[in-house]
Amino acid sequence: MNALHIAAKDLVILFRDKGVVMQLLGLPLIFILVFSGAMQTAVGGSHDTRLPLAVVDEDGGPRAQVLREGVEAAGGVRIELKAGAVAAEALDKGELARALFVPAGFSSDLDAGRQVMLRLVSRPDADVPRTEAMRMVIEGVARDMALEGQILTSLRQMGEMMATVPDAFTMLAVERGPAQAREQFELSRTRPLVTLVTRVPMRAVTVEEQASAAQLAVPSFSVLFVFLTSQATARSIYDEKKVGSFRRVLASPVSKGELLVGKMLPNVAASLIQVIVIFGFGLLVLPLLGQAPLSLGNAPFAVVLVGILIAVCSSSLGILIAALARTENQIGGLSAVILWAMGVLGGSFIPVFFLERFLGPSMRVVPHYWANSAFTDLLVRGAGLSDVMPQMVALLIFTAAFFAVGLWRFDFD
Amino acid sequence: MTSILEVESLVKEFGDFEAVKGVTFSVEEGEVFGLLGPNGAGKTTTISMLTGILPPTAGTARIGGYDVRTQMAQAKTLNGLVPQDLALYPTLSARANLEFFGRIYGLSGRDLKQRVSDVLRIVSLTERADQPIETFSGGMKRRVNIAAGLVHQPRLLFLDEPTVGVDPQSRNHIFESVLRLNRERGMSIIYTSHYMEEVELLCSRAAIIDEGRIVALDTIKNLIGLLGGGVIHVGVERADPAILEALGALPLVKEAVRMDPPVSPPSIDDAESEARERTPVPSGAVIKIVSERSQGAVVAVIGYLNAHDIALTSLEILEPNLESVFLHLTGKKLRD
Repeated sequence: MNALHIAAKDLVILFRDKGVVMQLLGLPLIFILVFSGAMQTAVGGSHDTRLPLAVVDEDGGPRAQVLREGVEAAGGVRIELKAGAVAAEALDKGELARALFVPAGFSSDLDAGRQVMLRLVSRPDADVPRTEAMRMVIEGVARDMALEGQILTSLRQMGEMMATVPDAFTMLAVERGPAQAREQFELSRTRPLVTLVTRVPMRAVTVEEQASAAQLAVPSFSVLFVFLTSQATARSIYDEKKVGSFRRVLASPVSKGELLVGKMLPNVAASLIQVIVIFGFGLLVLPLLGQAPLSLGNAPFAVVLVGILIAVCSSSLGILIAALARTENQIGGLSAVILWAMGVLGGSFIPVFFLERFLGPSMRVVPHYWANSAFTDLLVRGAGLSDVMPQMVALLIFTAAFFAVGLWRFDFD
Repeated sequence: MTSILEVESLVKEFGDFEAVKGVTFSVEEGEVFGLLGPNGAGKTTTISMLTGILPPTAGTARIGGYDVRTQMAQAKTLNGLVPQDLALYPTLSARANLEFFGRIYGLSGRDLKQRVSDVLRIVSLTERADQPIETFSGGMKRRVNIAAGLVHQPRLLFLDEPTVGVDPQSRNHIFESVLRLNRERGMSIIYTSHYMEEVELLCSRAAIIDEGRIVALDTIKNLIGLLGGGVIHVGVERADPAILEALGALPLVKEAVRMDPPVSPPSIDDAESEARERTPVPSGAVIKIVSERSQGAVVAVIGYLNAHDIALTSLEILEPNLESVFLHLTGKKLRD
C-alpha cells in the first residue's frame, strides 16, 4: 500500500513538470510525425493504402495492359512494374512478398483463343490472406478477359457460318447461338488462365510485408521513448536523495522494497500512458493527417502485453541507472547518450529486419531489439502471441537482470 | 520516569572510519534532550541509526521497548524525524506534502485530514496550506519540514539541526512549537544542534558529543557548573610546573593547567567532515585556569604574572555557558 502512496505522489510530481510531459508525450509524437511523413514521401508521395503487387510484363501487348489496368481497377492493389531479373532477386532476398509474371505472347495467344499461363509467385512466408486476395482479383480479371476473347471468337465463327448457309437454316443458327455461348463459358472455367506457383526462396530471410511508415515508426519510437523514460525513475530517486526526502521516507514504516516498487510504478504508469498515446496517435491521428494508419495486426492482446513488458523493463532499467549513476550529469547526460545508443542499436531508428543484416546478432544485447522485434512480428507480419514468446521471455530476463543488479548496487543512504 | 529511548554502546563504522564510537545515553518520556556537538561530531549518524536509516555496526538501542536491531518496524511507528535537510517535495503544496507523509504512517480519511490541519495550525501555515512550497520562504519551508515529522503524532521526535539557515523570526517560531509540543502533548524530543544557546533554551539535559564520543552528559545546569565560576585562558611566554602550581594556589583559582598545543585533526572522508577550528594559541604557552569567580581570579593571576615578570601574551575570559563547556572539555570551539 505504501508503494502506491509513493507512486501516486511521484505521478503528481511527474506530470506537473511540463518539460517531462513534453519529453514523455510530445517528443515521440513529433518524431513519429516527421519520420513516418518522410518515409511515406520517400516511398511514393501521398498516402496509398493499396497493397503493392510487382508485375513482370514480358508480353508488353495490349492484353497485358488490359490485365494490369483491370487488376488496379478492381481496387485494393497497386501495380508496380518490374523487370524479371529484378523481381526474381527481390523475391529471393525477401524484399518482395509476391510478383505476377505475364509471359511473352500473352496478348496474341489470348486473341487467338489459346490457353495462356500467368504465374503469381509468392514466398511461403508471405501473408497468406493477402496473397489469396490478390490471386482472386487476378483470376477474376483474367477470367473476364478470357471469356471476352472466347465469346468474340465464337461469335466470329458463327458469323462466318451464317454467311455461307441458305436462309432455310437461319433458325438453326439462332438455336445454335446460346449453346455456343454455354460451351465458351464452360471452356473458360475448365481452362484457367492463372496458376498460382509458390516459390521457395534461396535463403530464409524474413519478408517485410511492405509495411507502412506508421507501422514502422509508431512501435519503434514507442520503444525508444519508453526506455528513455527510465531516466525519470533515476532522476526521481536522485532528487529525493538530494533533498533528503529519501532518508525521511526510509525513517518511516516503509520497507526498502516498498520504496523501490513505489519509485518504479510511476514509470510503469507513465510508460503505459506513453504507449497508449503514441499508438492512439498512429491509429487515429495519422490518417487524419493524410498518412497511412497503424494496424494492430492479428493479436492486439499480444501488443498490449509487449507494451506492458517494455514499461516494466524500462522501470527496472531506471533502478539500475539510479544505482550506478553518482551525479546528476550521469543521469541526465550519460544515461541519455547510452539510451539513445541502445535505441539505435536495437532498431528504433532503422527497422530491425534491415539493421539485422548489417549488425547481426549483436543487436540482441539490448532490450530495444527484442521489443522492436516483437512489435514488428505482431504489427507488420501479423504474428500471434505464441510467435513472440521468445521476445517476451527475453524482455523478462532483461527486466529481472536490471532489477537484480540495481538492487545489488543500490545505495539507500 | 520511564525511558522512551535507551542507547547503549552504539557504534557506526564506515569502512575504516568510526563515525560513532560507542555512545550511551537515555531519554525520559516527555523530556527534551539535547545532542550538542560541532558538525561532523556524529549527531546525524547517531540519529540515522535510531530512526532505521542506517544499521548500527555494534551496540543497541531500545525505543519504547523495541530493539532497533530486531524490531525497527515497530520502533519506526513511535518515531518522528525532522531531518536537517528540507526533505520535502517542492512542487507539491504544504498540505499535499503532509498528507503524503501521513499516509505512509498509515493515516487515511478524516483522521488524516484532521491531523494535517492540526499540524498546519501548529506551524501557523494554515493560510498557505494549498500553495506549492517552492513559493515559500526558507523559514516557512523549515516549518513545513517540522510539520511533516509531527503529522503522525510520534512519541519520540528527532529534530536534527532544525534551525539551520532560518531567520530569527522563524527560529523563534520553531522554538515555541517545540516547547508547545513537549508541554501540551508530552512529546519526547531529541534536539541536535551546534548552537549552544538553542540547547540551553530548550533542553533539560544534553549530551556533548565530539568525534563520535559523548564527552559529557548531564543537566544543562550541571554541565555549565563544570566550569565553576568561569574559565580563563592565559597566554604566557613560559609555563613551567612551578608557575602552574603557584597559579593554582591563588585565591579564587580552582585549577591551573597547561593546555596542549593544537593537534591537526584526523582526516575524515565522509559527509560529516568539516573544518574544525582550534583555539588560537599564541607563541609560548596557554594556561587554562578554572576559577570560582572569573573576575576576581583574573586580577590575582595578572598580579602574580607581573610580580614574577612573566610576560602576558593573551587573555580570554570564557563565560559559563555550553560553548565554554565544550571548549573546556575538548579544546575546540563548537562553531566559528
